Amino acid sequence: MRIKEHPILELIDKEKIHFFYNGEVMYGQVGDSIAAALHASGIKVLSKSIHLERPRGFYCAIGNCSSCHMTVDGIPNVKTCITELLPGMRVEFQSGKGVLR
Amino acid sequence: MTSSIVIIGAGISGTSIAYNLAKRGAKDIVVLDSGYLTNGATGRCGAGVRQQWGTEANCVMAKKSIEFFEIAKEELQYSGDIEFKQEGYLILATTKQEELQFAKNVRLQHKIGIPSKVVTKEEALQIVPHLNPNAFLSATFCKTDGHLNPFKMTDAYYQAAKRLGVQFFFYESVQSIDQVELGKFVVHTNKNSYTCHQVVNAAGGYSKEIGDMVGIDIPVYSENHEILVTEPIEKMQGPMVMSFSKNIYCQQVPHGSFLMGRSNPLAPRDHDISSSHQFLDEMAKTVCEILPLVGELRVIRQWGGSYNMSPDRQPIICESDIVKGFFMACGFSGHGFMFAPMTGILLSEIMLGHPTTLDVSILDIKRFHLQTTTDVEHSVV
Repeated sequence: MRIKEHPILELIDKEKIHFFYNGEVMYGQVGDSIAAALHASGIKVLSKSIHLERPRGFYCAIGNCSSCHMTVDGIPNVKTCITELLPGMRVEFQSGKGVLR
Repeated sequence: MTSSIVIIGAGISGTSIAYNLAKRGAKDIVVLDSGYLTNGATGRCGAGVRQQWGTEANCVMAKKSIEFFEIAKEELQYSGDIEFKQEGYLILATTKQEELQFAKNVRLQHKIGIPSKVVTKEEALQIVPHLNPNAFLSATFCKTDGHLNPFKMTDAYYQAAKRLGVQFFFYESVQSIDQVELGKFVVHTNKNSYTCHQVVNAAGGYSKEIGDMVGIDIPVYSENHEILVTEPIEKMQGPMVMSFSKNIYCQQVPHGSFLMGRSNPLAPRDHDISSSHQFLDEMAKTVCEILPLVGELRVIRQWGGSYNMSPDRQPIICESDIVKGFFMACGFSGHGFMFAPMTGILLSEIMLGHPTTLDVSILDIKRFHLQTTTDVEHSVV
């Protein structure tokens, strides 16, 4: 879901780009953050709490809260809410604290 | 208020001394702290416990303390988890001179029964695969060294001491100590006065000031040592990695964070415990050289705490030879947490006139008055 009309802002459709979420092809727009592209594609659960494994979604959206930590191109704990989506990115749901390789 | 013993300082040393005194039958024990439980050096320490030392006194204190940590949960009947993890300390030798010194240290450690060993670079890389192979020559490893949670361990002593009747008073800062007669003291705080027969100085960074209050000059000073901690990550490093020549210790705590520190050779002798950008900069450079992968992690926060330094980097655990009834456990030089079980055992034995578990003459303040040279500990970061 995306906002198409806004009383003040002029919203222009931008170029569509593809990425992979858990191996599956998805699409976002140029200028999206990873989390925004996922959200727009209906992916609302971005991580799980470490101890009780409760679902965590788009929360602070400014890179502070750690709710959107995901593994991107093999790098764990990427703050997907402030990381720009690039064509071909491999975004993976991350269980636990992430693995550093 | 009248008590028999007043202990100044509710860190790991003060709580261990209180517990050990009460366990041996001492009554009317009061512990005072100017802040909260662990608010001094204990709660700011690097949470490592090791036996790989370069002097006999430090080796013996450390070994017997580790033996206690192994049974601490049961002995203290603690309901929580003290997070004792024995996955070793890997100490890197980066110079030929260090390799020689470490070989000597390991011989000393073996004499005392500490299971340390010299390991080659290849063996070290098997123990910690993400080490930079070009940053060191060889290493020593002791698998029974490890990690322990300072807050939980102090709480375990605190709870056990309270069950044995020890009274704790927090946010009470000692202002002065009067000796009203031989073996009788009045300890004045900002809130109360305590009459007692024995006073224990376990004030960590402020132990010199407490000594001054009874007119004795304890040859210790405090200096700031800083630490930083990263975001947590799944477990990737078992042992503490340490280097004296590179000036670093770095371990992954059970929570998953990496905790690391180094000393500032230019640190002034004072009570500063602030955080500096210089430390962050130097620490980051050092860890990226030795453990490059750790450099990928974000720093979460920094803090500082006081090392209470003694002239030979070994603790002072004794009764004052000048003021009878005044006892001290200070000058741990950054290692009071890992020695605390023995600190409590030895000082309680000294105070109650019991035979001591170890020969404590090497820990006596009198060693600094003698002209003979004592061992000096060099294995300090």
